[in-house]
Amino acid sequence: MTRAPSTLTELARLGFAELGETSERLGELDAPDLVPYFASAANPDQALRLLMGLRAVASDHLIPLLADTEAAGRLVRVLGASEGLASFLARHPEQLDALLEPLGAPPTAADYSDDLEAAVEGLSGEAAWVALRIRYRRHLTRLAAWDLEHADPILALDRVAAALADVAGAALDASLLVARRDAPFPPDQIAATKLAIIGMGKAGARELNYVSDVDVIFVGEGSEGLADDRAVEIATRLAMLTMRGIHELATEPSLWEVDANLRPEGKDGALVRTLESHVAYYERWAKGWEFQALLKARPLAGDVELGERYVAAISPMVWSSASREGFVESVQRMRERVTEHIPASEVDVQLKLGPGGLRDVEFTIQLLQLVHGQSDPRVRQRDTLSALVALADEGYIGRVEAAEFGQDYRFLRLLEHRLQLSRLRRTHLMPTDLEALRILARATGLATNADDLAEQWQRTKHAVRRLHERLFYRPLLSAVAALPEDGLSLTSEQAVARLAAIGFRDPRGALNHIAALTGGVSRRATIQRNLLPVMLQWFAEGADPDYGLLAFRKLSEDLGEAYWFLRMLRDSSGAAQRLTSVLSGSRFVGALFERIPEAAAWLENEDELRPRPLEQLLEETRATIARHADDEDAAASALRTARRREILRLALAGIVGTITIGELGHGLSDITTAVLTGALAIAHRYGDGIEFGIIAMGRYGGAELGFGSDADVMYVYRPAGASDEEAQQRAEQIVHALSRLTEDLRIPLDLDIGLRPEGKNGAIVRSLESYRAYYARWSLTWEAQALLRARGVVGDAPLLDAFEELADEVRYPASISEQDVREVKRIKARVENERLPQAADPARHLKLGRGSLSDVEWFVQLLQLQHGARVPGLRTTSTLEALAAAETEGFVDAADAGRLRDAWILASRARSAMTLWTAKTSDVLPTDHQQLEGVARLLEYPPGSASRFEDDYLRVTRLARQVFERRFYGDSRPGSRR
Amino acid sequence: MDKQRDFVLRTIEERGVKFVRLWFTDVVGTLKSVAITPAEVEGAFAEGLGFDGSAIEGFTRAYEADMLALPDPSTFQILPWRGEIDPTARMFCDISTPDGQPSLSDPRNVLKRALAKAADRGFSFYTHPEIEFYLLKSSKLKNGAPEPVDSAGFFDNVPGGTAHDFRRRSVRMLEDLGISVEFSHHEAGPGQNEIDLRYADALTTADNIMTFRTVVKEVAIEQGVYATFMPKPLSGHPGSGMHTHMSLFEGDTNAFYDPSGHYQLSKIGKQFVAGLLRHAPEITAVTNQFVNSYKRLWGGDEAPSFVTWGHNNRSALVRVPLYKPGKGQSARVEYRAMDSAANPYLAFSLLLAAGLKGIEEGYELPPEAEDNVWELSDAERRALGYEPLPASLDRAVSLMEDSELVAETLGERVFNYVLLNKRREWKAYRAQVTPYELESNLEIL
Repeated sequence: MTRAPSTLTELARLGFAELGETSERLGELDAPDLVPYFASAANPDQALRLLMGLRAVASDHLIPLLADTEAAGRLVRVLGASEGLASFLARHPEQLDALLEPLGAPPTAADYSDDLEAAVEGLSGEAAWVALRIRYRRHLTRLAAWDLEHADPILALDRVAAALADVAGAALDASLLVARRDAPFPPDQIAATKLAIIGMGKAGARELNYVSDVDVIFVGEGSEGLADDRAVEIATRLAMLTMRGIHELATEPSLWEVDANLRPEGKDGALVRTLESHVAYYERWAKGWEFQALLKARPLAGDVELGERYVAAISPMVWSSASREGFVESVQRMRERVTEHIPASEVDVQLKLGPGGLRDVEFTIQLLQLVHGQSDPRVRQRDTLSALVALADEGYIGRVEAAEFGQDYRFLRLLEHRLQLSRLRRTHLMPTDLEALRILARATGLATNADDLAEQWQRTKHAVRRLHERLFYRPLLSAVAALPEDGLSLTSEQAVARLAAIGFRDPRGALNHIAALTGGVSRRATIQRNLLPVMLQWFAEGADPDYGLLAFRKLSEDLGEAYWFLRMLRDSSGAAQRLTSVLSGSRFVGALFERIPEAAAWLENEDELRPRPLEQLLEETRATIARHADDEDAAASALRTARRREILRLALAGIVGTITIGELGHGLSDITTAVLTGALAIAHRYGDGIEFGIIAMGRYGGAELGFGSDADVMYVYRPAGASDEEAQQRAEQIVHALSRLTEDLRIPLDLDIGLRPEGKNGAIVRSLESYRAYYARWSLTWEAQALLRARGVVGDAPLLDAFEELADEVRYPASISEQDVREVKRIKARVENERLPQAADPARHLKLGRGSLSDVEWFVQLLQLQHGARVPGLRTTSTLEALAAAETEGFVDAADAGRLRDAWILASRARSAMTLWTAKTSDVLPTDHQQLEGVARLLEYPPGSASRFEDDYLRVTRLARQVFERRFYGDSRPGSRR
Repeated sequence: MDKQRDFVLRTIEERGVKFVRLWFTDVVGTLKSVAITPAEVEGAFAEGLGFDGSAIEGFTRAYEADMLALPDPSTFQILPWRGEIDPTARMFCDISTPDGQPSLSDPRNVLKRALAKAADRGFSFYTHPEIEFYLLKSSKLKNGAPEPVDSAGFFDNVPGGTAHDFRRRSVRMLEDLGISVEFSHHEAGPGQNEIDLRYADALTTADNIMTFRTVVKEVAIEQGVYATFMPKPLSGHPGSGMHTHMSLFEGDTNAFYDPSGHYQLSKIGKQFVAGLLRHAPEITAVTNQFVNSYKRLWGGDEAPSFVTWGHNNRSALVRVPLYKPGKGQSARVEYRAMDSAANPYLAFSLLLAAGLKGIEEGYELPPEAEDNVWELSDAERRALGYEPLPASLDRAVSLMEDSELVAETLGERVFNYVLLNKRREWKAYRAQVTPYELESNLEIL
C-alpha cells in the first residue's frame, strides 16, 4: 500500500465523486503525474475505473501511453466521456496506439476512404467486416479525443459532425469494396455494375451524430455493355452485402443501421433503381415530405459520377415541390410529425422531438428552404447551419435571429453528441438524475454543475419554441414594410408563397392586410409589427384565417391609436390570442366588432366576459331613459347600442368558453328584457290610464334564447282609469311603439306574437279580462301548452302577477283528460310532418328535427301539463329545470333524461355556434364540410373534426328520439316513421 | 401503394387498356361503375374523381353532390370478359369528401373502420364465403315463375349441362381476376350452383364478392342464360345463402384455435360466437336485407331461423366446423344466415362488431343445439331458449333501429340510410296484393 497521492479535497476539486475508492485506486495506479488530467475528464471516476480495467487486461499496450502525459491525458478524456469507446479499447487494446500521436484536425473524406479500404485489403466475408469496423472505431476514437480536447466544443461541433459523415461514407465505400469481392457474380459483370450510395438526412447534409441511422438511397447502372436490369440485379446484391458489412452481427459489433427506407415506395420498393426509374418515380408520385428528405441528398459513397448525376436530376424537382398541389397538406403533415406523439414521460427530456427540440429548428429551416429555394438557388443548402446562414444572407430571416438560433442548434447538438458518445448508443433523452447531468455538463464544457446545465437547456428550449414565429412569420412583414432590423428583404411573391403554405386561401389579400396593419410610423404600426408575426400563426390555426385577418385589420383601423388597445396587444398575449381566435372563428363577432371595437378590451379580463346581471342591465336602462327623457330616438338608439354590446359580450364569452349554454340563454333573455324595459318606459308613461305588461313566451319565456332567436311575447293590459275602448286603443299604440323603438336592422330583435290566443287571427293585445274570458271558454290544449313558458317580464308588476296567476290555472290543470293528452300527441305528430321545410332532412333540423329541440320540449311540456298541478318542481318555464324535476319525481329515468338533456344542449349549442360562425341564423345542420368544420371548432372540437361532430350530433339526437318515441308516443311503433 | 400505382399505369400502357371502370358500392350493395379513359387515371389517383354523392346513398339524398372516388390501385384488374378487342380494367374506389376526409357513407369505409377497430385490439379478420345462386333460362318468368336451366341436385354432375360449363368458365374468369376459388358444385335446387371463394382478409373478400357477382352475371350473358342472387327465387326450392366462415388472427396465430378447447375452439372463439348469437337479430336487416330474404330464412331447407349454434348441426345459425387435425390455422366459425344479396361490406362489419362485442364483454356461450331445431315444437324451443331470428324485414328493421351496435358500427349516416331504404321497401311490399291472396281469397270471400 503506497501513500495516498492526494487529499480527498483535492480529488473532489478534480471532479471525482467516489473519493475514498478513488484515493485507493490512484494509489494502486501509482502515476501521480496523471492525476491532474482527470480534471478534464467528463466523469473522472469512470475514467479512473476504466483505466484500471484496461491496465488489468492490457498493461503492455498501456505502458507507452501512460509514459506520455499528453497521450495519457487524451486517454483519460476518452475514457471519462465514453464507456462505449472504452469497451472497444478493451476488446482491441492494440488500438490504444491511436491515441499516442498528437491529433490534428480530422482527415478528409478521401483520406478516411483510403485508410478504411486499406484496412480490408485482401480480406473478405466476416474477416473483412471485422477489420473494417475496428478501423472505423479507431478513427472514431481519435475523432472523439480531438472533439474532447476543445475547451469550447461548440466550436468544433460543425467539423466533428462533418467528419462523422465522412467516416461513415468511407465505411460504406470499404464495405462496398468487400461486397464486390464477395458477390457471387462473374467479376467482369460486377466490375461493370455501377452503384452509387446517396446519403440522405444528416449523413447527406454532413451533419451526422456520433450514433445514428445512416439514411441512404442506392442507384445502380450498367456500363461496358452490361444491361441495366442485370446491373440492377447485381447492384441489389452489392447493396445488401454493403449494408450487412456495416450492421450484420459479427464478432466486432455492428456500427450503425444503414436505413434505406427513404427510397421510393419505402420498405416495399426496390432496394436499387436506375437513375431513370428514380426520376420517373419522383416525377409521378413523390409527396411533399419525400422532397423534404431529398433536400439533403448527396453522393456519399460508391460511384461518385453516377451519384452526381442523380443529385443533378433530382434537385430541380425538390425545388419545385412548393408549387405542387397539396404542398400545404404536406407541410401540415410535416408539422404533425414535428409534434408527433411522444410518450408523456419523455416530453420534458426529449432533446430532439420535444417542444423546443432539434426537430423544431430543422422543420422551420427546411420549410423556409422549400418555400424560397424554389426561386432562389442561394438558399439550397443541405445542412441546417449553412442554410440558416444563407437564409439570413439573402434576407429571408433576420441576421440576429439566425445567429442566435445557430448557437441554440449547436448547443442542442452538442448535448446530443455527448449523450450518444457516452455509451455509443442512439439516444435523444436527457438524463434526469443529477449525477448524470453533472457529468454531461462537464463533458460539454457548457456548465460546471447539473443545475446550470439544466437551466441553460430550459432557456434554449424556450428560445427555440419561439423560433418558428420569429423565423417564419416575422420576415413576412418585411415584404410590405421596411423593418428596422438588418437585412430582411422578402419580396411580395416570396411572402405570398409563405402565406399560402400555411393555409391562407387568399394570400395576396392577406398580404395587403399585413401591409395596412404594419405600414407607417405610428405607434400602432410599430406594435403591430412586433405582434403580427405571432398573430399570423394563430390566425393560420383558426377555422378561417383570411376572414380573421381582415376583421382584425378593420378593428385595428377603428381603434386607431387607442392607448388601451395597443397596450393590450403589446402586454397581454393571452388577450391577443383570444382576439385572433374569435375573429378567425366567428363572422358574427367580426361584424359586431365593427360597431363596438372597444369591446376588444374585454378579452383581457375574464370578468368582462361574464353576463352582466339583470339588475345591472336594468340600472343602465333606467339611466339611459332618464338621460334621453325628451328624445325618443336618441333613447332608442342608446338602448340598441347597449343591446349589441351585451350580445357581443356573450358571443365572446361563448367562444372563449367562459359561460355555459344555460348562462347564455339567461344572458340573452336578460338583454331582451332590458331593451323591452327601456322601450316600454318610453312608450308607456305613468298615468296613461292603463296598466301594461309584456309576457315572455317560448324560448324567451324559458330564458333559453340563442343568438339569432326571435323573442316570443304576448301583451296584456288592464284599464286603470281609461274606458275599455280607450284602453284597448292605448295598448295597441304601445305595442306599435315597442316594435318601432326596438327595431335593429343589424341584429334584429323580432318580437313574435304568434303564440297569442287565436294565433295569427287574434288581437295583438288583450286585456287581462279578455284573456281570462278567452281561456275560460276556448282554451285549447296547445294554448295551455304555450302558456307553460309564459313569464311576465316587463311592465306593471301587479298586472304581471295577475297574468301569471291566470296562466297557472290554465297551464297546470288539476287534471287533464286522456283525450287532451292524445290531442297534444296528435298535434306534435302533425307538426313534425308539416312544419318541417320541404325537402329538409329531419335528422339535421336543429329545432324541429328528429330528437332535437322541439322533441325534448314537447316531451317535458306534456309532463308539465299532466303533473304540474301536483308537482311544484314542474312549474317552471325552463326546459332543463322541468326535465330535472321530472327525473326527480320519477316520471323519466335517469338514462332517458340524460339522453334528452344531451340532445337539447347539443342542438342549442350547435344552433348558436352556427349563427356565430356565419353571422346568419339557420336551423339546419350544414352538409358542407367547411361549414361543419367551422361550427365544430366553435364547439371546441379539434381541427379536422367535421365528420366526427356530424356523427356525434346524429347519434345524440337519434338516441333522444328513441326515448321520445317510447315515452311520448308510447311503445307502439308506427309503421312508417321519419 | 406507389409501386402499385406505377404498376397500374404501366399495365394500362402495355396492355392497351381503353377504359378503366371505377367501382364502388352503394349502401344497398349495388355495384356502381364509372368508366374513365386511361388519360384520366393518373388524375384520379392524385385527386380523385368527382361525382354526385347521392349515387352512393341509395336514392335517399339528392343533395351533397360533391364526393370524390379515389381508386385503390391494389385492386386493379383487367376485366376478362371484354376480350382483347377493347380491353377494360377496373379498380375499387374509396369515397372521400371534397376536403379529403373518408366519406362516412361509403360502405367500404365502414368496413375499413370496423377492421381498424379490430386491429386496435390486435385482431385481423378473415372471411370465406360460400356463394349460392340460381341459373335461369332468362330473367323472364314462365307461368309466373322463374325457369331454372336444369333440374339436377346437390353435387350432381350434369353431363354436357350448362351449369358445368358455366362454373368452369366462371372459375376461370375469377382466377384471371386474381380471385382464388376454393370449390364449386351444383347445389340442391334446380339450376342452383355454389362457388366458394378462398380465405382472405374481409376487405379483399368483400371486394371479391362484388367482383364475383359481376363475373357470374357476365358469364351468364355470355352463355345465354341468366344468373340471380335473389335470396329465394323459387318457392319450392332452397334459397341462395352466403354462408360465411370467419376467423380472427392475432398476428400469425388463429385466435379461435385452442387444441384443448371443446371442438378446439378457444375462449376468444367462444366469446365471438356468443357475440354473434346475442346480436344476430339486430344485424339481420343487413345480413338479410330484402323482403325476399325472409322467405329463405323461414323456408326451412338448411336456412337457420333460430339463434343457436352447433357443431355438425345444419339447422344452427352458427356452426363450428371440424378442422383437420393439426390444421389449427383453419379454425373458424360459420355464420349461416346471410344471403347472397347482402352488402358484404356492411354485413362483414356487423358480424365482426358482434363477435368483438362478445369478446369485449366476455359473453358466455349458451349450450350447443344438438337437435334439428326445425323439428322442435315452439314450446320446446322456448324451453331451450332458442330465440327466433326476425320473421320479416319489418321486424328486422325495428330490431336494428334500437341497436347501438349497428348504429355505432355503420356510423350514423349509413345507419340512417339503411333504415330509410328498408322502411321504404317494406312499405312498397306491403302495398302489394299478391297472387297468393287472390288465389286463396278471391273466390271464397
